[in-house]
Amino acid sequence: MIIGKWDLPFGNQKKLRSAKFRFTALTLLLLGFAGIAQAKDDLDYDRLRGSLNQLRDDRVLGALAPAEIALAEQSLALLTTTGRKEHEHFVYLTERRIDIAYATAQAVERERALQLLDREHDQILIAASRRDAEQARLELEKQRIQSLAQAEETDRLRAEADAARAQTEQTSAQADTAKKQAAQARKLADAQAREAELARKEAALLAASGAKPLPKAAPLPGPVTLGDNAFAPGQAVLKPAVQAQVSKIAAAAGASAHVHIEAHADDAGSAKANLALAKERAQAVRDALVATGIAAGRVSVVGRGGQKAGRHVVVSFSER
Amino acid sequence: MTLLRRYNLPALLFCVSTLTGCATAKPPMAEMDDAARRVEAARAAGAPTYAPMELRAAEERLALARAAMRKEDYGQAAPLADETQAAADLALARARLGKAREKVDALARENAQLRSDLSIDPEQGGSQR
Repeated sequence: MIIGKWDLPFGNQKKLRSAKFRFTALTLLLLGFAGIAQAKDDLDYDRLRGSLNQLRDDRVLGALAPAEIALAEQSLALLTTTGRKEHEHFVYLTERRIDIAYATAQAVERERALQLLDREHDQILIAASRRDAEQARLELEKQRIQSLAQAEETDRLRAEADAARAQTEQTSAQADTAKKQAAQARKLADAQAREAELARKEAALLAASGAKPLPKAAPLPGPVTLGDNAFAPGQAVLKPAVQAQVSKIAAAAGASAHVHIEAHADDAGSAKANLALAKERAQAVRDALVATGIAAGRVSVVGRGGQKAGRHVVVSFSER
Repeated sequence: MTLLRRYNLPALLFCVSTLTGCATAKPPMAEMDDAARRVEAARAAGAPTYAPMELRAAEERLALARAAMRKEDYGQAAPLADETQAAADLALARARLGKAREKVDALARENAQLRSDLSIDPEQGGSQR
């Protein structure tokens, strides 16, 4: 409109004035629309500018999508230079570009978080495996200690067993000893018993011979004389009737007394033959006594001749 | 003539400038291809799961752009192709974000579970800083 004023030519002023007025009115109208449009443009621009600034200033997201932010900036810059008709189009584009920048920055942020979580995942597994290894090591150590303790226990038990066995052996040795001692004691007892038995027997013998030993204080039985009639005449054979007398003599001799047999011949006839007969007669008596059970050693025989007393046999006793 | 030129020059300039936008003669083939490719990339990146709304917006823009192309309205098709690219890129970025969030949540849960299973103290296994 200023241009119009300055450029107005001189002449045709009326026509010009009306034309000028029309033109001015039209221009004003257009500018009014433009102003309204410009104001709306400014609102859109301010809104988008603010949104983009907010993203750029964001401490976390601001640096994560530089390319997308640059594209949004470019789109926003175009918004200021474009005409009204294209305005909506560029607003749409700029809105999208800013949203893309936001979404991209957020996605990058999440992807970084994902990386950290991945690393954390690995670290958890590592920690777990390390802990497992540690547990295995501890378990191993425990088992080692246990087996050690077990070995010690085994040793101890073995030692105990050894000791027990030794003791058993000792005990059995002692038992042997005791057995031996017992055997010895038994032997001793046997011996003593035998001794006692012997003593008893002796006592019994003594008792049995008690009748004689007592009369021992009293003299042994006196000599028994068997007369000439005890024998067949001129012979050395005892008559059967004399047998009873022989038994009496044997009883008188007892268990231990020594028996002397003296056979006396008479002086009729040859002395020599008499002596021989006397001896034979003595031996016959001895034989008869031995036949009753008296030991031959306990009997001694003597033949004597030339006696006035006639033919006879004297049996006498003596101690041993 | 001079008058006309003089008075109508701003109006003429205005008209020309507005008309140029509609009268781009060349079909934006490269932009259309790029837009389709980016929508496909977003789809492959999991946008159907993680950014379905953003993907649908991009697909709608692409459909509009294609319709304009069929009408040979290249002046409308070109900005729509641009918008499709931006929308597809946003779907892709949101899919990436959704996927990353899901993975982070899953792994955080797994780590916590693992830690409790193995009874590892937080400071013992995986102190991050």
